[in-house]
Amino acid sequence: MPPPRQIAFLLDDFALQTPAQQLLDRFLLGYRRNGSFHKPDAFRVSYSLSPTGGEGGVRGRPSTEASSLLQQRVTGHGLQLTADLPTAVREADALVIVPGIGSASPPEPLLAAALAHARRGTACFVFGALASSLATARTRAALANARQVTLASGTEWPLTWRLPQIDLPVRASLDEAIIVVQGPSPLAELQALDALLPILERRAGGERGVRQVKFLADRELWRAGDRREWSWPLLSSALSRSDSPQGDTLLDGRTQDLVGLGVVPKLARNPRGWLLEHADGVRTALLVLEGVVADCNFALRLKDGSEISAQLFHAPVPGQEHFSPLAATLEDFFRTGQAPAPFARSLLTAGLLDACRQSAAQPGTWLRTPEITGL
Amino acid sequence: MTGAAAGTVLLPTAGLTAVKRPAKPKRVALVTTIVRKFSHGQHFVDRLLEGYGWHGEHHTSPLDLVSLYVEQFPETDSSHERCARHGVKLCPTIAEALTLGTSRLAVDGVLIVGEHGDYPRDAKGQPLYPRFRFFKDVVKTFERTNQSVPVFQDKHFAMDWREAQETYRDAQRLGFPLMAGSSLPVTWRLPAIEIPLGTPLVESVGVGYGHHGYYDIHTIETAQSMSERRAGGEAGVKSVQAYKNDAVWRLLEERPTTRRLCLAALNRSQTLAPAPGYTFAEPSVEHLKRVSPFAVAYVFEHLDGFRTTIFHFNGTGTAFSRDTAALNDFSYAGLTQSGEVFSTLMYLPMPPTMSTLASFFSPLVNHIEHMVLTGRPSWPIERNYLTTGMTLFAVDSLYANGAKLDTPDLRIRYQPTPGPHFWLE
Repeated sequence: MPPPRQIAFLLDDFALQTPAQQLLDRFLLGYRRNGSFHKPDAFRVSYSLSPTGGEGGVRGRPSTEASSLLQQRVTGHGLQLTADLPTAVREADALVIVPGIGSASPPEPLLAAALAHARRGTACFVFGALASSLATARTRAALANARQVTLASGTEWPLTWRLPQIDLPVRASLDEAIIVVQGPSPLAELQALDALLPILERRAGGERGVRQVKFLADRELWRAGDRREWSWPLLSSALSRSDSPQGDTLLDGRTQDLVGLGVVPKLARNPRGWLLEHADGVRTALLVLEGVVADCNFALRLKDGSEISAQLFHAPVPGQEHFSPLAATLEDFFRTGQAPAPFARSLLTAGLLDACRQSAAQPGTWLRTPEITGL
Repeated sequence: MTGAAAGTVLLPTAGLTAVKRPAKPKRVALVTTIVRKFSHGQHFVDRLLEGYGWHGEHHTSPLDLVSLYVEQFPETDSSHERCARHGVKLCPTIAEALTLGTSRLAVDGVLIVGEHGDYPRDAKGQPLYPRFRFFKDVVKTFERTNQSVPVFQDKHFAMDWREAQETYRDAQRLGFPLMAGSSLPVTWRLPAIEIPLGTPLVESVGVGYGHHGYYDIHTIETAQSMSERRAGGEAGVKSVQAYKNDAVWRLLEERPTTRRLCLAALNRSQTLAPAPGYTFAEPSVEHLKRVSPFAVAYVFEHLDGFRTTIFHFNGTGTAFSRDTAALNDFSYAGLTQSGEVFSTLMYLPMPPTMSTLASFFSPLVNHIEHMVLTGRPSWPIERNYLTTGMTLFAVDSLYANGAKLDTPDLRIRYQPTPGPHFWLE
């Protein structure tokens, strides 16, 4: 057994049923893994609140609730509270950085400060996106490289169960993909990208980047479907996996053919979506549909005409067991130093989040994205 | 990060194949206690009338629901609306639902859904749903017309063992395909595992929750759908004994393999109550004692030496309530002769907390479609005959203060069908 390793969690706040709490507690208490309750007891866990006042500087103050919860973990499970971020980072072999609720990526000063103080060989995981733009992500990657820090990012979505437990066969010839999510921007886009990109990259030739992005909203989104810019049948396939249709199902429990009955445009509140044209011609639609379903579902069409679809499972509260597979992946990352996913995916996600934001300012117009075409 | 949590990638090749709508759809009648939001009747009726998500498309049932018998019509009734919108005949009697007023059977299959509605309870707290009365009306119609068709019975046969025996014997005597059961054996499994046929299992444990008398069947069928796949198949059950509260903790202390399997099953649960200030917990007997002072176990000794233990951890309430239960899901663990443990969660996306649809009825309806189209039940009715008896005798033992009951009537031997029957695609 290797000597104990120190993990520093750098958090904006601490509250129950947040990614920060779910991940930190799994390293403190243990978690369900392969049918057992696994205790990663070769780790010491420390916690530091992120600096909120600027580069590496002022330490924030946890809320009263957070203080109480943290103290419970100090006395019950040996959590170490570290007064300042540089100390926490310098003593750590591994870093977990979790942005605050509502943020897709951590504050740039936080990640910069963490990387600046990290020891050589540190493994650093950013929950969410690495940054909100490709340029910033590249800057942070360069800093990590210079410090010999292995950097990774992501969420629980690539690792959770799928209903059914299915994946795109490796080197399959893919034609088109669609994913349906809900939520505010940019979290919805992050969820869609982090859920779908790991599946798409398995296709023949792998992921070669995205050529252009187009934002559509309201009626234009439906018209684009009618023009076959995205596929209604593929949307139907994705929605067939949902356990949470809205509308009449809420009224009387009935099952519904949401697309076949033509109710999707009626149910959707502020519908919006992004069309992605990948460098190899594959087309992807990220649809944010509030009021249609309340879960995350995707569908893929292969070039031979066959389809694959599934729901990405979010486990019930309060346990949110979908964080256990992520904890397992992080533990392996921290033990081996091997990043759990291609770093190019992190860069592509950051670049696409930026492209989604920019394209939303010009609905209906293709935004060329040469900077992420060759990723 | 790639891949899925369970680590297994299943390509869409196994499990039930999609049923194509035949040129001339098969006609079915549905006999139920009540049709209102989230009643079992509603779940079955709507899947037949409105279709359901299946294998990546909205599946239209190959069965035409042509007639409906409903016994109770509360203000929230939705049977009238469904019948009017879909042209289904709402019949005043079961016989008319099956014959549509003619002298012959007018349907190719019958679904009996005796769950929910306002019915009295017996002294053991079991709701006296009229499943047997419904079944006998169906049988009488079969006898009168000298015809029979496949029948599906939701959950277990009856609340009385003599009625259950008569149900089984009637089906044998008249020779019609009978399928029954809970949705637990056919819903999603996390992870999506099946026990290979002929596995040398020595013990099964099912962990669940719920009202004694009518939720027990879910956990018992969870375990039995796995246990029957052991080497030699099902040999029958020779005794049952119920345990309550402190006796449960003693049982767990005295039987290390049962304790190991109970905790293994709980390691698949996603809803075990945490300690205050946390969101999840390590399963342990000490933790269970804290979060579930009210606990029940049933131990079944099978004739071949196999053992099944069922646990219900109903939390802190003196009467069962979802709000105070220590967990809200059903999990399984089985031990092989060589010490290997199989474990999984039978996942129910339960409305309204986890979903808006009770999608676990979809695979059950799909199996019914197969039976009506092919005349072949997906699994042997002996499974449900046995689980009906296991349920009824377990409750008898519970209300006899944990007396161990010999169960000579449960010498029910059968071989499982290969499956898998659970939701895989």
